[in-house]
Amino acid sequence: MRRPDGPAKVHGRFRYVGDLQVPGMLHARTLRSPHPRARIRHLDTAAARRVPGVAVLVTAADVPGLATYGLIVADQPVFGGVRGEVRYAGEPVAAVAAVDARAARHALAAIEVDYEPLPPVTDPRRALAADTPTLHPNGNLFREIDIRHGEDGVHGPVVVEDDYAIGMQDQAFLAPEAAVAIPAADGGIDLLVATQWLHSDREQIAACLALPEQLVRLTLAGVGGAFGGREDITVQIHAALLARAAGAPVRIAYDRVESFLGHPHRHPARMRLRHTATHDGELVSVTARVLLDGGAYASSSPAVLANAITHAAGPYRVPHARLHGLVVRTNNPPCGAMRGFGVPQVTIGHEAQMDRLADALGLDPVGLRVRNALQPGDVLPTGQVLGGPLPARELITLVAARPLPPPAKHDPTGLSLPGGLPAMAEPSRVRRGIGYALAYKNLLFSEGVDDASTARVRLALAADGTPHAQVHSACAEVGQGFVTIAAQIARTELGIDQIELLPADTAVASAGSTSASRQTWMSGGAVRGACAAVVDRLLARVARAAGLPGPVVETARRSLTITGGQIVGAEVGLRMSVADALAMGPVEAEYTFHHRRTTALGAAGQGDPHVAFAAAAHRAVVDVDLDLGLVRVVSMALAQDCGTVLNPLALRGQVEGGTAQGLGLAVMEELVTDAGRVVNPTFHDYLIPTAADVPDLDFVAVTEPQPDAPYGVKGVGEAPTCTATPAIIAAIRAAVGRDLRRVPVRPHHLVGPPDADPPDADAASGGPFGEGPS
Amino acid sequence: MHWSASGMLRPSTVGEAVEMLSAARAAGLEAALLGGGTDLVPALRAGQRQVQTIIGLRRVLELRVRGAGADRLTIGAGVTYTDLVGWSLSPGLARAARVVGSAQIRNTGTVGGALGSARPASDLLTFLTAADAEVLTVSPRGPRRQPLARFLAARPEPDALVTAVRLARPGGPATYLKIGGRQAAYPAEVSCAVVVDRVRHTLACAVGGIGRQPVRMVEAEAYAQAAVDWATGTVSSAAAARFADLVTEATQALTPTLPVGPHGSARYRIHAAGVLAGRAFARCLNPAIARPALAATLLPAAPHSDFLRPDTFGPDTPHADPATPHVDGTGPQGAR
Ligand SMILES: Cc1cc2nc3c(=O)[nH]c(=O)nc-3n(C[C@H](O)[C@H](O)[C@H](O)COP(=O)(O)OP(=O)(O)OC[C@H]3O[C@@H](n4cnc5c(N)ncnc54)[C@H](O)[C@@H]3O)c2cc1C
Repeated sequence: MRRPDGPAKVHGRFRYVGDLQVPGMLHARTLRSPHPRARIRHLDTAAARRVPGVAVLVTAADVPGLATYGLIVADQPVFGGVRGEVRYAGEPVAAVAAVDARAARHALAAIEVDYEPLPPVTDPRRALAADTPTLHPNGNLFREIDIRHGEDGVHGPVVVEDDYAIGMQDQAFLAPEAAVAIPAADGGIDLLVATQWLHSDREQIAACLALPEQLVRLTLAGVGGAFGGREDITVQIHAALLARAAGAPVRIAYDRVESFLGHPHRHPARMRLRHTATHDGELVSVTARVLLDGGAYASSSPAVLANAITHAAGPYRVPHARLHGLVVRTNNPPCGAMRGFGVPQVTIGHEAQMDRLADALGLDPVGLRVRNALQPGDVLPTGQVLGGPLPARELITLVAARPLPPPAKHDPTGLSLPGGLPAMAEPSRVRRGIGYALAYKNLLFSEGVDDASTARVRLALAADGTPHAQVHSACAEVGQGFVTIAAQIARTELGIDQIELLPADTAVASAGSTSASRQTWMSGGAVRGACAAVVDRLLARVARAAGLPGPVVETARRSLTITGGQIVGAEVGLRMSVADALAMGPVEAEYTFHHRRTTALGAAGQGDPHVAFAAAAHRAVVDVDLDLGLVRVVSMALAQDCGTVLNPLALRGQVEGGTAQGLGLAVMEELVTDAGRVVNPTFHDYLIPTAADVPDLDFVAVTEPQPDAPYGVKGVGEAPTCTATPAIIAAIRAAVGRDLRRVPVRPHHLVGPPDADPPDADAASGGPFGEGPS
Repeated sequence: MHWSASGMLRPSTVGEAVEMLSAARAAGLEAALLGGGTDLVPALRAGQRQVQTIIGLRRVLELRVRGAGADRLTIGAGVTYTDLVGWSLSPGLARAARVVGSAQIRNTGTVGGALGSARPASDLLTFLTAADAEVLTVSPRGPRRQPLARFLAARPEPDALVTAVRLARPGGPATYLKIGGRQAAYPAEVSCAVVVDRVRHTLACAVGGIGRQPVRMVEAEAYAQAAVDWATGTVSSAAAARFADLVTEATQALTPTLPVGPHGSARYRIHAAGVLAGRAFARCLNPAIARPALAATLLPAAPHSDFLRPDTFGPDTPHADPATPHVDGTGPQGAR
């Protein structure tokens, strides 16, 4: 089944939220702090309010409710305050709505802000130092987790230890942030937004507006990608404040530069990893110290750290582990959710370590992984017993057996060589490398959270007399494919063809976030449950109408089945069309799906934190121009643990996209900051892979059903992002014979002096972690 | 579009365009010439430039012409990169145009826009610097012709319109190499053009992306002049290495330099300039490395022709009279 929005997107006809027009609508723009840390002494908006065409202007003083918001902790001001500090370059200070965007921009230029710049804290290693100022009333530490597993001080004779650093990746989604806010006659507000989680937005907006939640109504509007970058509030509260102040609809929109500044990014990470093993390659211990830079505000940092640190040893059996992680506040841009949610960073580290351990042992990197790969029943460093299935061993074996691409062909144009046509590499100076990576990634929300999803299904007769079902879920479709999955499930469960997926909005209970690889499982489960309840009600009605005995009516499913639009009870001698059954009136049901309960991390980081896992293994083949250090990824093979496949085309889209995004992190994507300011917030300077950079994916799905998930599904979007990056780094490492401890890998790391890739430029002064608790 | 509230003027001759430019200035209005708009439109949208008048050049047919004289090529300011990609009269220029941006940018971006923007690492400007190009402008003070390097170094004349660039007909192989952040569609981080003239026994080399404008590598050029066996047009492999070293030395000594890009390293940039120069040099001159298809090959002596018919017109543009078609015997693409 194909996506209903596919053709419109391909033909450029799809209406993203930024394209929406409402009669009488005003255009809003946001003023942002140019300073990473400053006190606002004075904010004068008088001149800006007088700019022709300006309708309203709002600042911190105009927030009627809670002054701050946040996904987990409400620590982020709606606007940088006059009394408080601005804490990152790009923090909103004011917003203006005007008759057009040009007038709004003129007004922004006319706002006078008197900043008193303060020295920013931009080195996360210094965030907890005694002489570092406290940047926020909540302090500079977002979270610390210290996992102790097995015995302290037990190590193997073969030791590999090093530092790794990963830069800040951006979600770089297609359609920049936008929303339309429309004030309603009942004193409430209606919002059309591109978001990942309508109900979380609603809760935060309502709190800041001091409105009861039911007066804040959200409807999902055309989303152009998310990848975690739309989990946090950006434009929503500003748009609502402006629309209420103006008494008119407001469309707020970011341009590309603002989009790069406006949403949280992937956490930059530094880590020191120490792996020890026996001489024959059995892991004995892993010691990890992981430091994530959370930037100015909490966003989802506490949860990202939990993911990073619980996965820091990778999908391997480790008898003894000490995994210590910190996520700290700095004056860098806020970081939060991005595809993989903390796991890609640690995977880069643990997979580098596995390769270097294989080198130290003289073993094959695939063999070492096979030997140590987790199996169901193994105990993880948190003490959690790994449920099944997790075919990690099978995946790495499978991917290693895929046919290799042919050697570089003689290509006079240079098109298929590193650097492409423009660089025209010299074929004799191109060397090939092969690398592998294996990872696992948790599915769904962790640590005791009950992130339930609700769906409502209504089965009725359409005007033409045919049965027609409406599925209502607040699940945000951000490209993951719920639009097809929900319809497929309803069709399967209800045995009819006409399914209508109602717009995702807050008129139905929460579906939770479109993140954590969770929607097919959670909201798919909710739709399935609601459909099953509808069927039960319909069958009971039919049984009752047919005068069948009470016990049969109560368990109608035992004697009646619904297929192909017919209700059939062979044993009870009943046959009726669904249409006839619905002539007695529509049937409706709501269902809330819960996953199995997990527990919080307790003392020594022990618990049962994760619902389930999915694994993936990539093999990358790269060519490197030895003179210029340019890299071309020649081939990517992926074997992935997918559970039951519901939509093969959608699966393919997810794994190809995940691979491309991992490739981007490996060799090009990094938001660079200089003293806290992003220096490359454009697609000229923040390059993402194009079709010329991403090879066709050789993909094998391993489909062992997940027992506690609907139909045995697993989430598939995140695992391949985790493995693509380290597999490519490993292949480059194999081609050039350098350690490569800084990601993304740049050409100058490959051809400069051998120490050109220190995880930290100033590693000599204080190591990768500097001062802080240990 | 927000900026279209302001006036959009559409002259149909160079004279009209220059008059409109002066009139706007006399009225105290900020005016901008519009070529393909690949630089101007994003700058207007982002509010980096604010203008009251836009003078669209698309209908100025005389700007859209490419021509070949006995020993010179003239390229109108309205010629697009795509027009140049297929042009057999200057394979080096065609190659430089081919590696600009994406197909969309090449279809839209113009030679005049490249000169108007004068981006320091512009692919076209780096190639034209090696090709000793001249820039033709027209202002209320009349027409003017000046070397590209001088045009780039001088402050832009706000009332002047670039009408064309002029360069010598190629007298030997030429190539252009660049590197950046990915496989295709990237701005040059470092680039190098080499233009060989086997008739006059000269070799020119320009490096882009390091200086504030493309820079000629004069020591390396002088070395090459002496090292090339001009009878065969070849050099030894050792000569390519020496040439590369001289370029590295020259780029190292260069001041002022462009700031290094967000992901770059100053040391790498200099290293890469040397590697690219050595490669470009070898591709043009060393048969052991340069396979025929790789280097832009020496052209057959082309018969003389005047202005050629521009090969692309927008939907709103009347077709010009076809000028004398050019025949140079290089196949179906010959005259395009
Ligand atoms: C996505 C993207 C990728 C790009 N990639 C590359 C690349 O790989 N390599 C590269 O070199 N460039 C690249 N560029 C830059 C750009 O395409 C070139 O600089 C192009 O040549 C500009 O031409 P234009 O006709 O679009 O100019 P316009 O945008 O129309 O004008 C640019 C400037 O020149 C002025 N101008 C226009 N015509 C004239 C004239 N006749 N006389 C005087 N002034 C004039 C305008 O007023 C304006 O100031 C890229 C741009 C984009 C948007």
